[in-house]
Amino acid sequence: MKFPGFSVNPTRRGELAIGPLMVIPAAAGLGIFWIWPLIVAIMNSFRSFNPFTHRATGWAGFENYQQIFADPAFQSAFWVSLVYMVLMIVVIIPMALGLALLLDKRMPGTAFARGAILAALASSEAVAALMWNQLYQPSSGLFDAIFRAMGMPTQPFLTDGNLAIVSIVIMIAWKDVGLPMLIFLGGLQAIPPHLFEAASMDGANAWRKFWRITLPLLRPSLILALFMTTIAAARLFTPIQILTSGGPNGQTSNLAYFSYAQAFLFNSPGQAAASVVVMLLMLVVITIIQGVTLRSKAGAS
Amino acid sequence: MSDQTLPATNIATIVEKRASLWTTRRVIGAISLLLIAAVFAFPIVWSALSSLKTTDDVVKFRYPLTVWTFLPPFPTLDNYAALFFQLNFGRTLLNTIIASSGQVLIAVITSTLAGYAFARLRFPLRDTIFIILLLTSFVPLEVILVPLYEVVRGMGLVSTYPALFLPFACSPFGIFLMRQAFQSIPVELDDAARVDGASTLKIFWRIALPNVKPALATLVLIQFIWSWNAYLWPLVIIQDPNMQIAQVAISGFKSVPNFPLDGPLFAGVTVVTIPLVAIAIILQRYYVRGLMSSGIR
Repeated sequence: MKFPGFSVNPTRRGELAIGPLMVIPAAAGLGIFWIWPLIVAIMNSFRSFNPFTHRATGWAGFENYQQIFADPAFQSAFWVSLVYMVLMIVVIIPMALGLALLLDKRMPGTAFARGAILAALASSEAVAALMWNQLYQPSSGLFDAIFRAMGMPTQPFLTDGNLAIVSIVIMIAWKDVGLPMLIFLGGLQAIPPHLFEAASMDGANAWRKFWRITLPLLRPSLILALFMTTIAAARLFTPIQILTSGGPNGQTSNLAYFSYAQAFLFNSPGQAAASVVVMLLMLVVITIIQGVTLRSKAGAS
Repeated sequence: MSDQTLPATNIATIVEKRASLWTTRRVIGAISLLLIAAVFAFPIVWSALSSLKTTDDVVKFRYPLTVWTFLPPFPTLDNYAALFFQLNFGRTLLNTIIASSGQVLIAVITSTLAGYAFARLRFPLRDTIFIILLLTSFVPLEVILVPLYEVVRGMGLVSTYPALFLPFACSPFGIFLMRQAFQSIPVELDDAARVDGASTLKIFWRIALPNVKPALATLVLIQFIWSWNAYLWPLVIIQDPNMQIAQVAISGFKSVPNFPLDGPLFAGVTVVTIPLVAIAIILQRYYVRGLMSSGIR
């Protein structure tokens, strides 16, 4: 056998057979359970379905897309997805950076803070949402007790649409801030200390050192942290399901939740498929925009 | 020498000032770190403490705020008894453990095999296949949920253990991690063994695997923690309550009409969370390393 640009040492010819054999289990698993369903999801978004049997009845062109874009529930979910994304980035990234800067100093107490943040990160998403559900409960929750003890009225943490979105973001920030924080910690440790020493000799204060040295050198970590947070925001589902079930009136429902509801509660697989394709496209477009803007800034400076 | 010395008092004040500045900074830093630790640990600790209260006490001592809002006034293990003897929690916990073990075991086997092949063996389209497999890690489960459900249903696996772990058992992260680990072993080791006449499989088993033990530990730990994150998939694919995993089962406790199960809910949350969190903190070296390489991909 000959492949262009591929020369095989005769003594290692066995690898031609063994290599693919070793890859097959993993490739088969990912192919059957991830790549094939992804292809089917995209095809289903262009198909029509029998609403009772869920069987595809033929091609529908862009009909599913037209229907979901005309659906106010989908429009709301689309914008709510973007709101989650913006809020999670605005809350989690600066918080992660602040925590990383603090933990990087290696002061007494660092081990406790790091341990607690890792504990939140390792806890199961569903269980974390359940704990916060108990904290947020309007009549039996702890936050309500604290608010009333301070003389403030009962807050509709999970029953007012806007406040519920904020409540969900706070919960997810508590759980997920650890990952971008670790990324920033890794980035901070890679900055050569002599840069700071040199800046101190030139009389730069801490603020200036942060803006002129730390932040520019953290740019790769920032891109990575932004990317991971954006993906996490796009696929946000479990906290929404447990804390609000998408309510009140679908006001906390994002595209992931909308598509789940379309598929498993409202029996319309075509529209569910179209909405996940929109979600995937949204994710791709936003990460490309982030990548391009941050990279081009890197080139300019 | 003598004409260069600064007045001794001057030096002393400078040193003292620096030292005191340094210590106040340290104290403020330490206090804020402990506050952060408290904030992040609070929901977990509070759930664990609340699990020792009866459901009535959870509600009764909530307001006005006293120390008993947080600590159990009459500590009891009733919730745990109810959990295991009345709410069938033992079975669902066992299901969680079986699903996690299956996922970890298969992930280790498939990832080491594929990781080694991608790192060390030469065959056509090797790097293309590697990149395609890696890209699947960016596909959110939510996107493929319905077709994946159809695939697993087509295999006749609805409400079975394999349905819980098979779709997640082949891990692009694991393949990437193991490929990197195998690449860091010096090629000379392979070559020496090859000269001695060892077969590829023998080199893999005798030389490569023993040299990637830390990466294996990382893989096991991360896969285990991720497997406990499962919620949406079991919710959809498991229709028999006896086969459901603990995380989904506890979430059912929050919405039983006219029958509050706050106490057992806290107990369930504690049972599911504490071992996992303890493992993550004790083995945080491996955990952090794994997370970092998951980000670097």
